[in-house]
Amino acid sequence: MAAAALREQLNALLSSMFSSGLVDDQFQQLQMLQEDGGTPGFVAEVVTLFCDDADRIISELAALLEQPIVDFDKVDAYVHQLKGSSASVGAQKVKFTCMQFRQLCQDKNRDGCIMALAVVRNEFYDLRNKFQTMLQLEQQIQAQQ
Amino acid sequence: MRPEERNAAVGRVRDQFPVGMRVLAVDDDPVCLKVLENLLRRCQYRVTTTNQAVVALRMLRQNRDLFDLVISDVHMPDMDGFKLLELVGLEMDLPVIMLSVNGETKTVMKGITHGACDYLLKPVRLEELRNIWQHVVRRKFSNCERANIDGYEECTRPSNADFDHVHSQITGGTPDQSGRSSKKRKEYHSEEEDEGEESNGQENDDPSAPKKPRVVWSVELHRKFVAAVNQLGIDKAVPKRILELMNVERLTRENVASHLQKYRLYLKRLSAVASQQASIVAAFGGNDPFMRMGAFEGLQGYQSFASSAALPSFTPQGLLNRNSPTSFALQGMSASRPIQIASNSTISHSISDPNKYHLSLPGTSSRQGNLAQGLTTSVGQVQLPQKWIHEETDDLSTILSVSGQANNGVPGTLQSVTNSHLLQQGLVECRQDKVVIQPCSSASSDRLEGTVGVSSSLMDSCASQQNVVPLSAFSISASPMNGSLCSNGVAELGATSSVGTNICPSNDLRVARDNNVGASSFGSVILLSPDTVPNQKYLNFGGGSNLRQSMDGGNTDNLLNSKLIWSCLPTSQPSNLVGSHHPMSQRLNNGNLGGTMVGQTTAAAPQTRIDMFTSGDTPTPKSASDLSFPKVHSELSSSSCSFDGLLNSIIKVEKDDASFSDDLGCDFYSLGACI
Repeated sequence: MAAAALREQLNALLSSMFSSGLVDDQFQQLQMLQEDGGTPGFVAEVVTLFCDDADRIISELAALLEQPIVDFDKVDAYVHQLKGSSASVGAQKVKFTCMQFRQLCQDKNRDGCIMALAVVRNEFYDLRNKFQTMLQLEQQIQAQQ
Repeated sequence: MRPEERNAAVGRVRDQFPVGMRVLAVDDDPVCLKVLENLLRRCQYRVTTTNQAVVALRMLRQNRDLFDLVISDVHMPDMDGFKLLELVGLEMDLPVIMLSVNGETKTVMKGITHGACDYLLKPVRLEELRNIWQHVVRRKFSNCERANIDGYEECTRPSNADFDHVHSQITGGTPDQSGRSSKKRKEYHSEEEDEGEESNGQENDDPSAPKKPRVVWSVELHRKFVAAVNQLGIDKAVPKRILELMNVERLTRENVASHLQKYRLYLKRLSAVASQQASIVAAFGGNDPFMRMGAFEGLQGYQSFASSAALPSFTPQGLLNRNSPTSFALQGMSASRPIQIASNSTISHSISDPNKYHLSLPGTSSRQGNLAQGLTTSVGQVQLPQKWIHEETDDLSTILSVSGQANNGVPGTLQSVTNSHLLQQGLVECRQDKVVIQPCSSASSDRLEGTVGVSSSLMDSCASQQNVVPLSAFSISASPMNGSLCSNGVAELGATSSVGTNICPSNDLRVARDNNVGASSFGSVILLSPDTVPNQKYLNFGGGSNLRQSMDGGNTDNLLNSKLIWSCLPTSQPSNLVGSHHPMSQRLNNGNLGGTMVGQTTAAAPQTRIDMFTSGDTPTPKSASDLSFPKVHSELSSSSCSFDGLLNSIIKVEKDDASFSDDLGCDFYSLGACI
């Protein structure tokens, strides 16, 4: 595939991510940082970090919520961390679900938390797929140049 | 051409000061840390990152001179960000910026009270980070100013240099920064240039490059320090003697002096928090005797720390929820603020703490200049002190006169307060004005932070102090006063509330602010309906009534009564009232609580009562103040004659009650009129 076509595909993907609210202007800022700051691979690095970290946190949360007695403080701390990293990467939808999650956590609503975790997980997987496609496209573009 | 080139190069380096600023970023979240790091690099700071607070602390301890600024996340598993903040503030005088995704007011406030110089919300934006260098410059400024106050001459040169530096920064750097195109950014980023400039900048111009090795105030060292201070008594504790007692190698008088200042601030803040809580308890009719006792003891301890004082006297109360006892660190952060403040509201600073005043002698004259400036611009009330000076007779604590001047500040604030009706805003505005006036203030936002952080408690603290201080006074002077106070109507309430405002013996910030509060309540209560009156006013009254309460033996209704009375005060009354309150409040500032109480009550109350007090109570102030006064004198007498004059007049007044009320009555009429 020609580089131009790949780039077009990438741009379409990105704009759909923005328009669907999956990512917000923080993500845009990261991209700008990469482009203006002469730090190629920065977005890829951050995105990869985020995906790994979020994946870890989500499995931690799942484990915590399976306990007979849920340690809501711990859950809250993890959700808080996930909220922080999703905010930093601009993963808007994940961030929003984290905010709801935290509320449920403060209410010590176990069932609510389990549902919230499912939502977070879905949002995250969706985002991760998009991110992965994005990174693949970028790599292909890079390879062609 | 060569020299020119070199000049140009130097100029360019200067213009780029924030470039190469050394930032330590701490965040346990790798994503945030990565993003933050990149953003910081983008601002051309030199960034060191770690995902563990413990590691950050170790790095800072090992070589604190490697960093100019710390940015730390709030929530970290290995160590709470606030803890790190405290420790950094305690051990090294570095500005710390807190960072969190959580922007609840409570958390932000906690950060500020713990001494954070800024609190940023995640995700951090580049624009915010571009600006953080100001904290480094501000810290540097305030350090120099503090050094001046302590009488170090060595610092004047660096401070000038810094000033130049900043100046060039402002003139040359700002347009450059704002108008920077992305193309130019790239240019900046070209590696070699960057490198070269950084090293240059570090050698010549890095504003945070310390001139001397800093001392790590480890817990142990601090313990020695506290022991020495306790041994000497906090008001006698001068750096030199502390140093002798501590007997630690490589520790200089300067180190001790600056630490002492932080320590004093720490104690003040503790007392502020304690008293605030006491006031809340008291104001809302809390019946828990333990709480009340706690507050009482807290203040007692605080007062006694005029003579011997120890940190331990605070810790046991359990009232200090907000500031944990270990939090000297926060003082460190804030240590600079009062000094900034001091330069324009020197008055309040010096009122509050005689020792400090003593230390600040070298810088006094210039700061008085500032002071005068501020005052004249605000009200033109400067004649007032002069009047008093004419009346001077003999000696007494300079503090009094100083506080006299502090009161001068009040009209200014008052004016704006009455104009704005929103007390707090008014105060803040005023303070801002003053900052502007002050020529070399680096402080405006810092200062405001300070007010935000502290004021919430301070506003109230006056109330609680009323509550507590009188108690201690009464324990000495006993029953005669009870009757009079209980029977007093409106006028006396007024007196108490203004009294309370100034009681706090050694809190610069508080004194100034309390003045404002007390005074402004005069001005604005009249105009506002009770409902719209800001909360702290109620607290204030609560304090006032608590005073009675404690004297009456638990008549809680007074709280409400006093409020009502207060808001009903007719407009015509105040000028006189206000007038008479101010002198009292001045007297309060002595730290002579017993005495001041008497003075106030007499002043506010009708003449008949004055007689009663003079006979019954004047002895008590003496006994109460015997401990604290002489020291005060000895230290302050050297300061400045105008202050003496002021004091003297007031003291004279205290000795001669009848004439006192007359004198002050007229003097303060003018003040009242102004208001």
